[in-house]
Amino acid sequence: MSSRSPTTTLDDEEEALEEEAESPVQLNAINGSFSEEIVAEGDDDFVEDQHFESNSKAESSGVNEEISYTWRNVPEIDEVERPLSPGSSGYAGEMGSTSGGDEINDDDEDNSDIREVEFDGVSGSQSQWVSGKRHADEDDASVSWRKRKKHFFILSHSGKPIYSRYGDEHKLAGFSATLQAIISFVENGGDRVNLVRAGKHQVVFLVKGPIYLVCISCTEEPYESLKGQLELLHGQMILILTKSVNRCFEKNPKFDMTSLLGGTDAVFSSLIHSFSWNPATFLHAYSCLPLACATRQAAASILQDVAGSGVLFALLMCKHKVISLVSAQKASLHPDDILLLSNFIMSSESFRTSESFSPICLPRYNPMAFLYAYVHYFDIDTYLILLTTSSDAFYHLKDCRIRIESVLLNSNVLSEVQRSLVDGGMHIEDLLVEPTSRAGAVSSHLGQPRPGVSAPGRMADGFVGGIGGPAGLWHFIYRSIYLDQYVSSEFSSPINSLRQQKRLYRAYQKLYSSMHDKGIGPHKTQFRRDENYGRSFLFYPVALRMN
Amino acid sequence: MASSGNKNINAKLVLLGDVGAGKSSLVLRFVKGQFVEFQESTIGAAFFSQTVAVNDATVKFEIWDTAGQERYHSLAPMYYRGAAAAIIVYDISNQASFDRAKKWVQELQAQGNPNMVMALAGNKSDLLDARKVESEEAQTYAQENGLFFLETSAKTAANVNEIFYEIAKRLPRLQQTPNPSGMVLVDRPAERANTASCCS
Ligand SMILES: Nc1nc2c(ncn2[C@@H]2O[C@H](COP(=O)(O)OP(=O)(O)OP(=O)(O)O)[C@@H](O)[C@H]2O)c(=O)[nH]1
Ligand SMILES: [Mg+2]
Repeated sequence: MSSRSPTTTLDDEEEALEEEAESPVQLNAINGSFSEEIVAEGDDDFVEDQHFESNSKAESSGVNEEISYTWRNVPEIDEVERPLSPGSSGYAGEMGSTSGGDEINDDDEDNSDIREVEFDGVSGSQSQWVSGKRHADEDDASVSWRKRKKHFFILSHSGKPIYSRYGDEHKLAGFSATLQAIISFVENGGDRVNLVRAGKHQVVFLVKGPIYLVCISCTEEPYESLKGQLELLHGQMILILTKSVNRCFEKNPKFDMTSLLGGTDAVFSSLIHSFSWNPATFLHAYSCLPLACATRQAAASILQDVAGSGVLFALLMCKHKVISLVSAQKASLHPDDILLLSNFIMSSESFRTSESFSPICLPRYNPMAFLYAYVHYFDIDTYLILLTTSSDAFYHLKDCRIRIESVLLNSNVLSEVQRSLVDGGMHIEDLLVEPTSRAGAVSSHLGQPRPGVSAPGRMADGFVGGIGGPAGLWHFIYRSIYLDQYVSSEFSSPINSLRQQKRLYRAYQKLYSSMHDKGIGPHKTQFRRDENYGRSFLFYPVALRMN
Repeated sequence: MASSGNKNINAKLVLLGDVGAGKSSLVLRFVKGQFVEFQESTIGAAFFSQTVAVNDATVKFEIWDTAGQERYHSLAPMYYRGAAAAIIVYDISNQASFDRAKKWVQELQAQGNPNMVMALAGNKSDLLDARKVESEEAQTYAQENGLFFLETSAKTAANVNEIFYEIAKRLPRLQQTPNPSGMVLVDRPAERANTASCCS
């Protein structure tokens, strides 16, 4: 999943429309007594929950656990789908091929009329497609708007629209007011509405002071996941404006916030897109770009150098992956802040033009205050972020960047980074095959360069065999609680189509939330089966308690 | 501030103006010779530098291309503090952007450096059919407020280099040099702009 670029968007499942023409939700049963309704296991058509709970009475989620999830195939696999072309996860490639045949064919036939609408919106340059708001012409009266699988709204406590994933906020004033009425109706009864279920739809509410966030979804993601997504959406807004924006509502409850978020549609739409491909959004962990130890150390030591000189955080990133990250003294950077910061920077084309110095708030670090971010791209994928509390540190930070850049160039860090990108992360086929190649493969993650010959061999194996890695292992994610990091394998055969990848992603998401579900869990070990499309998967989430 | 070392001058220059007035486009035209139809809205501010030679001196502009988005207004002083020059940009096809430009001029007059060289740029001069702000009106306003005024087009490059060269010439340290360069500027600014910038 980490191989998917944030720019592949057209294939979003929720981007697609629902099959039936049906208004998103019938919001009529309001009786002031909504309570959280935890996702019922039975109604999921994707993963049949067959829990083998080895320790279902496990102690309240232990802090000292390390969890890894694996995805294995069972022997009766016969179908092998077209593998991803090697270039399909490339940055530019994705932008150009968003309409890749795969997804269109996979999607429901009766969408075709709406598809056209999408393509109309896309016409123009490729970069336009990612950056602009999509379907801005729609409103709650449009059939296509009503059929969208996943809506996100931000509105003010007076019912004024602030953000909508689809459609023009201003045209959605009436709809916003309805959402506001529901929330305040329940609040007036001294209660709080968290979730409304209406048929296949879930309506998830999150109240953050004067700001309300709502998700309307029929994607069957667990409530906890959707709520987490609303939290991130709110965090993204705080990153842009700080929480002091709440004061505007104290002065004027009818304050119109849309103008304050001008030009940020791409930031929100790319965050929402990442909910469907980036495990960091539900794992609350970040992932690192695989690099040789010496390479990473070279980067870390120069960042460490500058962190001593008034830089609060120094991050060297490649796309959404961390190359190196250094904090001054006791400051620490929350993985969600890394996610929101990198999303903000990567989705704002403005940062690519030259070096920038911009106010930015880290919601988990201090939601009330701006930090100042010096941002500079070394190449199309690799960028440096230096964060400081001082608004006149620009020239100092610029000097720091020049020093960092020369060290990175001298120690070949930037070219190693590009190489790692081309190598494309960790491949399941490399693991555990035989002692010799195993050593190479494992160490390639740990840092030693992958032997050049193994790459083509590996790909060929994957294509021919079509059964993933050894012992039927198809994919894994490992999250370390100590490090706030996760590692995942790249998708490889037979999880080839974007649709399958997304299904797997959703399964992980569901698994994660059930493992952390205080209501029915936590289930430390589970077995799940997915029999869709004539295929059986076994899912082994493994929780290893260390000590 | 403009600072000189043997006719090598570093001058901080800030661009201010409404969203979409064309600040980034002007800078990109000047610095990189480029123009893109779909220029993304600026976040915070972007930094550029470009050197121009005027009357045997070199002026290295350190350019702050600020964001016109409303949320950044209160942070503008961070970028214009200490600037030797400012270009206040509006879009000739958008009256509101001209009103916004006047607000920036007021703010700079109230808070900025009194010796600051200020230019008013009526951008998108290629959009003649859509013109909403008459150049006479802007010219009069500029005269009254000690700015020099040019209509520019980042798209066609008209007057883009000129506005930067004109600023370079007006920087206090260059005032001594008697000979103006051979460049002919259509909208030659009023006396008042000179008095405002020659008191160093
Ligand atoms: N026709 C025409 N269009 C222009 C000209 N200058 C800029 N534009 C267009 O106007 C739009 C906005 O230009 P920007 O340079 O991004 O405006 P800005 O002032 O930097 O905007 P912010 O960064 O949001 O404050 C872009 O689509 C440009 O292509 C011009 O001289 N003529
Ligand atoms: Mg701009």
